[in-house]
Amino acid sequence: MELVTVIPRQRLEGLNLLGGPTPALTPPHRATLPLWLALLLKRQRRANISPPPWLHPTSLSAILTFETDHAGAAFSPPPRLPPGTTSSPPFLPSSTVDAAADALPYHWLELGEILLEAAPDDFEDPDAVRRLMRDLRECRMAKLRAGVEVLEAGGGFKMNGIGGMEVSEGRAFIGGVIDGLRKIGASREQQRRDKEREERENGYTATAGDDYDDDEMDM
Amino acid sequence: MGSYYNIDAILTDAQKVPCTFDLTVPGLGYIDGNVGGDMKEGSKVELPLWLGEMLALSQNLNTSSLVTLDLPTALSPRVLNALKADPRTVDLRAIAPYFYNLGARILELFEEEEMIEVLSETFKARAAVIADQAHNPRGALGEGADFMRGLDENERQLFRAAHDSAKSVRTWIAEMKKK
Repeated sequence: MELVTVIPRQRLEGLNLLGGPTPALTPPHRATLPLWLALLLKRQRRANISPPPWLHPTSLSAILTFETDHAGAAFSPPPRLPPGTTSSPPFLPSSTVDAAADALPYHWLELGEILLEAAPDDFEDPDAVRRLMRDLRECRMAKLRAGVEVLEAGGGFKMNGIGGMEVSEGRAFIGGVIDGLRKIGASREQQRRDKEREERENGYTATAGDDYDDDEMDM
Repeated sequence: MGSYYNIDAILTDAQKVPCTFDLTVPGLGYIDGNVGGDMKEGSKVELPLWLGEMLALSQNLNTSSLVTLDLPTALSPRVLNALKADPRTVDLRAIAPYFYNLGARILELFEEEEMIEVLSETFKARAAVIADQAHNPRGALGEGADFMRGLDENERQLFRAAHDSAKSVRTWIAEMKKK
């Protein structure tokens, strides 16, 4: 349900779709459409897609600089949610022309690849965008892999701003590492649990004993 | 660990551990290559982990346990020191094909705080190298080949997982372009 902005070349009445009605298309006014419809119209040469601002070479290179020079081990932050929203991507339009230019949305990799493939002629400089996308991907995947070294069986790793495709790509490996660490630390974990249970039981029996004494006193 | 039919668990349990018999057992000499003879008290034998564990933990009504387990050579202080010095250069597969699983099983039986630390650190350090190798297949065939040969079974699965995920993403991009 990602929305993109198109510039129609032909008129089209509004359609009543399951996801809600689409706006009527009147060239040369921009309109926001679901990605699949935009791709269909683009293929039929009935519309041009205007790429979201974060797919512009200048914003991409700014984000890349931030990733490499300032963010350290963290990822560049995700787009800020407008105040008062209760939904989150992909139900928020993060790839229309009104999207923030300085942040990569959740589906940045997918959207970028799809748009570069379907509508390269709507980009000013598709090759530069392609190159920057690849650089960003490499840089962020390297960070994801470096995060493995700080992982703990019960610990965490800050992944704010990571994209959906990157999560999927890292899932099997990171899950495997955590599983392995948990297996190695299982005996320690077991010990800790036993100790906690013992303490709980001891505490419980101690108070129970006190009650027993009280009863005797009453008698 | 795992299901009854888990082949990895079975193979882990088949790894040998040194055991010392605390009692003389009549007629058990064939384990030690002494067919028909007795297993003498104090003799050291290498038994599969599952058998050694069973004999060591079974408490008979009146006697102490039958055998005493020792640390396997795979987890001897020498190996742990080597891992502490540089986890990346140790050939784990030559030491034990199921190194980490063996370690986890042994840790259930022995209390070795330090071993947990060493194994976790080793696993983490090597996992990072595995991830790098999985994303750059030329390295795995070239200078990384020695390292790749020394991976234990767990680490091989990890390598496969990392490699397959990267491949799936590449496939998705290629498939999308075909349409």
